[in-house]
Amino acid sequence: MSRKTAGTRVRNRENDPRRAALARRAVERGARAEYLAFRMAEEIYAVPIAYVKEILKLPPLTEVPRAPADVMGVISVRGRIVTVRDLRRRMRLPESAPTRRSRILLAELAPELGGTGERVGLFVDEVLHVYRFTDAELESAANVLGSELAEYVAGIGRQAGEMIILIDLRSILGGQKAPPAPARTALAGGRA
Amino acid sequence: MARVLIVEDSAAMRSFVRAALEEDEDGGDPIEVVEASSGFEALRLLPRGPYDCVVTDINMPDINGLELVNFIRKSEHHKQTPLIIISTQASERDKQRGIALGADSYLAKPFEPEDLRALVRAHLANKRGRAQTQRK
Amino acid sequence: MVDQRDEFISEAQEIIEGLARDLLALDASLKRQQGADHELVNDAFRAVHTLKGLSSLFGVARMSTLSHHLEDLLDDLRLGRVELTARVLDVLFRAVDVYGQILAALRAGDPEPASVVDALLSELGQAISRPTGGASNPLAEYDLDPGLLAVLTEYEEHRLKTNLQQGVSLFVIRVRFDLATIDGALDNLKSRAKPHGEILTYLPSGEGGDSDSIDLDVLLASRQSLDVLRTELGGPTVSIEPVARRARAPHELPPSEPPPTQFLGSAAPRITTPPAAPEGVFTPRGGSVAQAPPSPFAGTSPRVVIQPPPEGDPIASLEVPRAGLSIRGVAQTVRVDIRKLDHLMNIVAELAIVRSALSRITDRVRGLPELRELGIELHRLHRGLDRHLGDLQSGILEVRMVPLGQVFDKLARVVRQISREHDKDINLVITGAETEVDKLIVEELSDPLMHMIRNAIDHGIERRRVREERGKPEAGTIALNAYQKGNHVVIEVQDDGAGIDEERVLEKAIQRGLVAEGEAGALLQRDILAFIFVPGFTTKEGASQLSGRGVGMDVVKTNIGKLGGVIDVHSELGIGTKVTVTLPITLAIISALVVVIAGRRYALPLASVLEALVFDPWSVRTIEGREVMTLRGSTLALCRLDALFGLPPLPDSPPPPRRFVVVVGVGNQRLGCVVDQLIGQQDIVIKPLGKSLEGVRGFAGATELGDQHVGLVIDAPAIVEDVLAASDATRLLGARKGSEV
Repeated sequence: MSRKTAGTRVRNRENDPRRAALARRAVERGARAEYLAFRMAEEIYAVPIAYVKEILKLPPLTEVPRAPADVMGVISVRGRIVTVRDLRRRMRLPESAPTRRSRILLAELAPELGGTGERVGLFVDEVLHVYRFTDAELESAANVLGSELAEYVAGIGRQAGEMIILIDLRSILGGQKAPPAPARTALAGGRA
Repeated sequence: MARVLIVEDSAAMRSFVRAALEEDEDGGDPIEVVEASSGFEALRLLPRGPYDCVVTDINMPDINGLELVNFIRKSEHHKQTPLIIISTQASERDKQRGIALGADSYLAKPFEPEDLRALVRAHLANKRGRAQTQRK
Repeated sequence: MVDQRDEFISEAQEIIEGLARDLLALDASLKRQQGADHELVNDAFRAVHTLKGLSSLFGVARMSTLSHHLEDLLDDLRLGRVELTARVLDVLFRAVDVYGQILAALRAGDPEPASVVDALLSELGQAISRPTGGASNPLAEYDLDPGLLAVLTEYEEHRLKTNLQQGVSLFVIRVRFDLATIDGALDNLKSRAKPHGEILTYLPSGEGGDSDSIDLDVLLASRQSLDVLRTELGGPTVSIEPVARRARAPHELPPSEPPPTQFLGSAAPRITTPPAAPEGVFTPRGGSVAQAPPSPFAGTSPRVVIQPPPEGDPIASLEVPRAGLSIRGVAQTVRVDIRKLDHLMNIVAELAIVRSALSRITDRVRGLPELRELGIELHRLHRGLDRHLGDLQSGILEVRMVPLGQVFDKLARVVRQISREHDKDINLVITGAETEVDKLIVEELSDPLMHMIRNAIDHGIERRRVREERGKPEAGTIALNAYQKGNHVVIEVQDDGAGIDEERVLEKAIQRGLVAEGEAGALLQRDILAFIFVPGFTTKEGASQLSGRGVGMDVVKTNIGKLGGVIDVHSELGIGTKVTVTLPITLAIISALVVVIAGRRYALPLASVLEALVFDPWSVRTIEGREVMTLRGSTLALCRLDALFGLPPLPDSPPPPRRFVVVVGVGNQRLGCVVDQLIGQQDIVIKPLGKSLEGVRGFAGATELGDQHVGLVIDAPAIVEDVLAASDATRLLGARKGSEV
């Protein structure tokens, strides 16, 4: 009896560690090129657009007592309850009241990429546009920023005289068990 | 488009057989699969034929696969239909009986989906060949 | 492909559950000295046979190997080559558990557990001793017509042979069935034929030219006379004929043998019966149970009695679920992913929001005199929508409901296993297995109930000798009762064991500093028993002393609490213990009281709300730093939810003119929650909060309250526990200080 049944293949497809690696590489390939830039306080930040599932106008927010400080509250997105986090609080940036330009980015980082797989809303002051970066255009964050922010930053991109800070989503959306640093650059910019 | 009737009481097994037959990466003639979850359902579905091939399990409650094979071989409309038995039945006896009753092939579970597909396609081609010869 | 795998897992699960039911029924019939029911054995064989086929197709290697071996064993059992003993049943029950472990591993994406399977396989080898040699195939001696034999499977052939050997006569019932209604008509025929004998097989006849109907030759083995059968089973489309036997029929034949007729018409062969096989070549299984070598467990085996509602016979009740596995059951049942039902439920919830918006508009229109007629019509339509939406909602809820029997079957196996391990005789008496609850609740219930049952056997039921000394029946009784009570389902696990020694519990509680010695005297029985739910309350040696109720009871309580349920214990020393679990029937939709706290809306599950009253600030007193008020003569602790949640008042909202106290009760504890406003009662769909809020205590989830607005659902049990535990701590501290002075 042959071992190579279809069932075996199914199982492999689910458990194969190579599959996770392939998925990661595929996402990186897509992420390498495009970043969604947005404004928080007076700075421009960006995340790989591949992880942003949706951009929402600000729906009514329900605050959650006793929640961690960077949780702004919960919203309902088509029947699903989504937690909204405030990156400004996380990164200790000055806060201002929401305006009509404020948006929520629905982002999701799959477990095999070091995330929790939970869809989370990220509050931003304004969504700008999509930037494309090549590896050569990216700088290491340590050269530019203090160590306090470096934890959240995967790299710096420059375009048309603007400095764009690339956020390491794993530091925001990561599960507790996510291993530290090494994959960070790969996730944000793929310079590895 | 060829139509194949699967008679099998396990839903998961049916969907496995269906997937095996509907897979068309080899570029063959597409196959439409009709599922019967029991011998009775097969009896009900047979008059709604014709079917180009019947694939049946042996061990089913009430009407077993052998009885179905016997019935099909005796029926005016379906006696020419290619019949394939699939069963885990270890017993050589039931397999032999199936063949003796007029089943065309026997495939032991577990089988490769490719093998089942190849077997069904071979019978379909045979049947077409026969039909053409008869027409001439 | 992944979907197919899910389908495989859920089908395997169903098959295994069916297998477990068959085994329990077999166990029961064995205990009643009835011998093994061959149909049950065949069903078990077919279950394992299907599992083998599926698991090998889906590459689940150990499951496939296990099934292969079990199939061999069950094949031998059904063909009468191996005797079904309690020990063999033990192994089969173990197999059900091992299957469960394999499926659990598959679901979690883990590899199949190797050691348990291997252990079972080696046990399989030991438990079964197959008779060697001597077993010829007696079929040849019967000289049955090959045309009939050709379409029988090996098992059917074996049954035919067994019947003939026992001198049972054969009849052929030719029935014409309408193809459209064949399933129901056949079930009907089966149930009518069953009391009179055994249906061996169904042969569809190829002669019927009509495509809407079909002739079936049903082969029946029966000891009844032809006349009786014709009266009982006959009908306009039914003809019954006896099957011919050879002249040298054995002496056991009934003297008034009807004249032989031909079987199966023209195409059909004759069946003839030669004399019975010589004694010893083949022993009918029914009679040999008593002669089997004594099992090592003889005399200690527990009895498991599934007690149906009073009117029925125990065995009959076991056959109900089996009937559900008939062809009709398969054909008319659709398996639905629970997530799809959740999705439908979400849609209903959104429709409900639309409905309330519509209701507001209707009210406004009705208020305009010039649109009065339109308003009335709108109102009528709205009422219709309301009713249909209600029907839709309850329809979906109903689909989610499954009988508790699913868990009880599992528990019956546990009882059987543990009682054998502990060498205790246990009667398990089950009532209310048909009580239905939401499928998700059923799934989550099995572990806590298992724990409770384990405790009852382990520590509740005394050893046989002790029971004798106390004048109790040798066999302990565990009653598992379920019934519906309003919107709740109550499950009781009651034993007639040693009961819980309150004094020991109290001693232990004082030792652990859970209560001050001076205050211990004031505690009521339920206060004392509540200590067994304190995490880690019992140490090992303590467990056996105080009959071990503390083992894991905190975990049980937590799990029940997660389902929105409460747990209570009653015990009488020397007489027994009763643990009562009260659960909501469904998780998906609950009735809630919507309240306003500091300008924000929250939902309080009505299940925990006892009453609501106007808050009178003048009635508040402060005891040990905690606000309390007096309600109908007893003291009620108060909790200001705005302060507990740290909610500052919203900028432009004036303080409310008056406030309210919502009294919530969890188990036997009460707490008065102070809120600003009561909005009203509402049915809400509870949705889980995301992973990022997992650690936040005090909220059971969130729900949509309309206008895109999300309201948090307050987890009343958690709040009560937090607030009252804090107050206990204060009290304890105070008490300690007092005793030090």
